[in-house]
Amino acid sequence: MKEFELFFGPNHPGMHGNFSVHLRVDGDTVVKAKPVPGFLHRGFEKLMERRLWIQNLALIPRICVPEPDINEMVYAMAVEKIAGIEVPEKAHWIRTLILELGRIAAHLFSIGGIGGATGLYTFPYWATADRDSVLDIFEHISGARIYHMYIIIGGVRKDLPEGIDSLIRETMDYLESRIPEYIDLVMKNRIIQTRLRGKLVLTREMCEEMCITGVGLRATGVDYDIRKYDPYAAYEWVDFDIPVGEDGDAFTRGYLKLLEIQQSIRIIRQVLDKMPKKGPVNVKLPGNALKWRIPPGEAYAHVESSRGEYGYYVVSTGETTPYRVHVRGASYPQGLYGIEKYLPGTRIEDVPLWLGTMDVCPPEIDR
Amino acid sequence: MNLKELISELKNKYRVLDEKFNDPNHTFVSIVPDQLHAALGELKSYGWKHLSTISCVDWIDDNEFELVYHLWNWDSRSQISLKTRISRSNPHFPTIMHIFPTAKYYERDIHEFFGVEFDGNSEMEPLFLEFWDDIPPMRKDFDPLKYSREKFGERDYKVPFADFIVEEGDQK
Amino acid sequence: MNKRLELPKKSFWSPASALKYLVKKPVTIRVPKTYREASPRYRGFHVNDWDKCVGCGTCAEVCPTDAIHMVEFEEIPTEPGKRNWRPAIDYGRCSFCALCVDVCTTGSLQMTREYIHISRDPNTFFFVPNEKGIHSVEYPVGYERDEDSDLLDLDRVEMPVIEPQERVTSFIEMVRGYSKEQAIAEASRCVECELCRSACPAQMHIPQYIHQIWKDNLDEGLRYLYKTNPLPEVCGRVCTHKCETACSIGHRGEPVAIRWLKRYIADSVPLERYHEILDAKPVKPAGKSVGVIGSGPAGLSAAYYLVLMGYDVTIYEAKSRPGGVMRYGIPRYRLPDDVLDKDIAFIESLGVRFVMNTKVGVDITLSELKQRHDAIVLAVGFTKGRSTKVPGSDHPMVLQALPLLEKIRDYLRGDAPKPAVTDDVVVIGGGNVAMDIARSVARLQKQEYGKVSVKVACLESEKEMPADKEEIEEALEEGVEIHPTWGPRQFLVENGELKGVELKRCIRVFDEKGKFNPIYNENERKTLTASMVIEAIGQAPDYSLLPDEICQKLDFVGARLLTDEYGQTSIPWLFAAGDIVHGPDIIHAIEDGHRAAKGVDTFLTGGNANE
Ligand SMILES: Cc1cc2nc3c(=O)[nH]c(=O)nc-3n(C[C@H](O)[C@H](O)[C@H](O)COP(=O)(O)OP(=O)(O)OC[C@H]3O[C@@H](n4cnc5c(N)ncnc54)[C@H](O)[C@@H]3O)c2cc1C
Ligand code: SF4
Ligand code: SF4
Ligand code: SF4
Repeated sequence: MKEFELFFGPNHPGMHGNFSVHLRVDGDTVVKAKPVPGFLHRGFEKLMERRLWIQNLALIPRICVPEPDINEMVYAMAVEKIAGIEVPEKAHWIRTLILELGRIAAHLFSIGGIGGATGLYTFPYWATADRDSVLDIFEHISGARIYHMYIIIGGVRKDLPEGIDSLIRETMDYLESRIPEYIDLVMKNRIIQTRLRGKLVLTREMCEEMCITGVGLRATGVDYDIRKYDPYAAYEWVDFDIPVGEDGDAFTRGYLKLLEIQQSIRIIRQVLDKMPKKGPVNVKLPGNALKWRIPPGEAYAHVESSRGEYGYYVVSTGETTPYRVHVRGASYPQGLYGIEKYLPGTRIEDVPLWLGTMDVCPPEIDR
Repeated sequence: MNLKELISELKNKYRVLDEKFNDPNHTFVSIVPDQLHAALGELKSYGWKHLSTISCVDWIDDNEFELVYHLWNWDSRSQISLKTRISRSNPHFPTIMHIFPTAKYYERDIHEFFGVEFDGNSEMEPLFLEFWDDIPPMRKDFDPLKYSREKFGERDYKVPFADFIVEEGDQK
Repeated sequence: MNKRLELPKKSFWSPASALKYLVKKPVTIRVPKTYREASPRYRGFHVNDWDKCVGCGTCAEVCPTDAIHMVEFEEIPTEPGKRNWRPAIDYGRCSFCALCVDVCTTGSLQMTREYIHISRDPNTFFFVPNEKGIHSVEYPVGYERDEDSDLLDLDRVEMPVIEPQERVTSFIEMVRGYSKEQAIAEASRCVECELCRSACPAQMHIPQYIHQIWKDNLDEGLRYLYKTNPLPEVCGRVCTHKCETACSIGHRGEPVAIRWLKRYIADSVPLERYHEILDAKPVKPAGKSVGVIGSGPAGLSAAYYLVLMGYDVTIYEAKSRPGGVMRYGIPRYRLPDDVLDKDIAFIESLGVRFVMNTKVGVDITLSELKQRHDAIVLAVGFTKGRSTKVPGSDHPMVLQALPLLEKIRDYLRGDAPKPAVTDDVVVIGGGNVAMDIARSVARLQKQEYGKVSVKVACLESEKEMPADKEEIEEALEEGVEIHPTWGPRQFLVENGELKGVELKRCIRVFDEKGKFNPIYNENERKTLTASMVIEAIGQAPDYSLLPDEICQKLDFVGARLLTDEYGQTSIPWLFAAGDIVHGPDIIHAIEDGHRAAKGVDTFLTGGNANE
């Protein structure tokens, strides 16, 4: 059969955000794939060099819609490393809470997408509505649902509001009760099982070659998770497991996310139990925020995002603005090199599933 | 062998120009350009198999670009960022694709935003910017505000704000 | 190693569990039928309390999206420290980050829980927040700044001072000055809003020089100081610092220590480098000469700016050392001689001639001076003390503050013997001069008798006392007693010896119009013992140097001379500056001198002083 070219995206419904893959297909089979990013390039890194350390707070979360908090976290962490800032204990706990809430919200959004790619629309509806219950918590803590601008250099912006404890616990109980239902609705579903089980397999060697992290890697039998391997915030002080699969297929990747939500719920409950009730939530740099200067130095800070290793490389020359900030998007390797190398061989209808379960996230690739 | 010991061993073999520890498990090591590949390969064989990313920094006052290869070792749980500086005029550097294939796109990214050529990496066409017509934009001498003013014109924002206080009943 | 992960098995019926949701209450709500109340911290549309807002523009400065423009409203009255600007927000740009709320210097700016605005008219997205909110509908307040989110630094870097027990034993300068680190930290509290400038009589470039301290560029800082003030060492110590009262940081915290920062620059740059840094030299020799009478701050300032304009300047001074009150009044623990010398030395190095020990009107007449010079600047200050004139005030142990302060300073310089003070002293007056003499006497007593016994009696209540708060506090720390709301009835003399002061209760100092018009309750009295009384109730000018025919041509307002904006009196060649024109402090005198210099230049060149 004759090969033809198929432009997948930038507005294909199966695609996450604006991103395009130019496919060469032979029948239904992909023979060549070329990633075409850039639709969401906003020059964040350049903009950051031109803004005060504090002003970047408004900018960075916007690199990632589903999980903005990781940006605030790695930015703060890198700067704290450079400046030698000791974050107060309570802030570590609150940051952990925020990051895990963010993980739940992002995972819900992401696995909901599987429903979109397979025609199982109840799933995205449920997941989006449940994600909103997490956004309610964010709204109470930070004052905004999506872009929280809450984790700042030195700690967090404000203490938790009164009474948030019970709202979080209720929401966690609710979400926990939903997981079996998701499993019933989705994971045991014949369509899902047929479309995902044993499909789109990536082996450990492939993942290591691409330097992929996150569920993509953990679906191949390793428990690599930065929260355990390079702990930050309060992760050393809580108990949780890293769900690991062996099959390396799309199904395992999706299922691991559900299991990770369970672990996140577990972490959040421990945070609420163990967090000190009193104490400072940030340390201030001297002077007003317009005059904050970070001493010269550099640091690379990374966290385990819902999609794997998310990092910022920050260079300061002692000025009021960063000299350089480089964003390492978690899905950059799979979204570019991975697509080119491992999409060929899959079928057209599986392309969105590949991209979805591998968490290709255009805004963090484009920056 | 902890990270400190490893670095001192590296120093025996390579011309290390500088080293800086953020903490015992996170370090930056500067090395001369022509030994970078050997050092990367050696580190990879020791378990620094994970290339987080490659960064480029424009040290315009020194007329140099700095390439920073961020490596992570899951076993020893430590980070080494290997750095090297190259001249900013006609910047060239050999690719590391044979060591880390995934570097292909990082190098292309740096080529697009800083203008560094990576010899041996054949695909260097622009990835993110369409119809780009100026110097590589992450260079320090590129002024985005000036560019956008010239390209898109100055937007006149002289709005008589006070006239636009919305009166009761207009909304809600 | 983890045990193998159990993956869910395929099941035909399991999705049916979703069916139960058909009868459940939906988690969604119907908008706009149901209004969803935002959370208490919600970052919605802004409100701004216009009465509180001072138009500092810090919100616009921090805004990461450039969404805030400061708009001028002519109907809002201005005063030092308050501008008639108010922030206007472009909701096409705003990212609802609330950094503006966290940085607002007065706390006037807040966000509400209102979050819906839909309009076809893009202009409705421009909005000047006031108390009412974008749709003039009241919504509960949402995001507010709290201590944790505050983006200002409200606490001053503490100035090291010598402890009271130690400092009262000598006249050593009590304020130690900032180190470089301390100065930079203090400078980084300034938001560079410029509100302080309007409160400074000389309109000094405050935010500019603070910025230079912050950047550790003291050369540039010094240049900014000298643009409007040739006595930075002096002002950096004893200026009345009205600017700090206006400082926007003072609304919620301690104002920026503007005065100490000025001192830091002047202290840090050695005199030898002044010429190189300031590059101060006369623009062109003007070929004309000006005589300045009095070497207080007004005279020195006039001389400095005149010499830079190219004039040949001579200062005539009655005393043996230049400086006026700075040399003979203000106590040495506040203003040591060497720093005053430094400021004056630079002025002198520019070519200003000092003719000392020459009292105009006694040693030389004004008309003689007029022969020598093309114009004269009169800056003779208020040199005479005022007396209470109550019975007993002519007793020899009833002294005036000013001459005693002068004697003390002369003694400390080694120019004169130690002035005698007794071990029980009462000071009359509640201003800074009273504090100065009380604290100086306390020091002499401590040295002489090992203990302090100084009682200050003043008409005003503690709150009304004209002396600076810190002066009062420091005096109390040093063991000075203060008796507010008491006025002297008589000084008690027995057998020719001063025994004490009889006081009467003062029940009101100022009348409804705010004029000094004290009322006493003559029946409520008390007595303080004293073997020495010092009156410090104000100073008066001494115009005896002015011949009658000149006096007749001049206009006076009370004790002060009437001049135009540039110090020119009704006699064209005669200019006046300082306490005899404006008062009440050094910085006014400096500004007066600067203006008089411009006035003289205009007069001698026929140009326009406003240029
Ligand atoms: C005790 C005291 C403490 C003060 N503390 C402060 C303070 O902390 N901060 C502050 O800002 N202000 C302070 N002031 C006020 C301040 O000193 C005056 O406002 C300021 O000095 C006025 O400057 P001037 O140049 O007008 O006069 P002066 O400083 O009074 O100088 C006038 C000069 O003219 C000379 N002179 C007078 N007549 C003749 C003549 N006929 N011939 C030649 N020379 C003559 C005098 O000897 C004197 O040197 C204080 C005042 C006093 C009295
Ligand atoms: S909320 Fe943020 S973006 Fe909006 S006006 Fe305030 S500072 Fe600017
Ligand atoms: S920061 Fe506050 S006080 Fe200053 S202009 Fe803005 S709203 Fe007004
Ligand atoms: S000193 Fe105070 S009033 Fe003056 S510019 Fe700085 S912050 Fe504003």
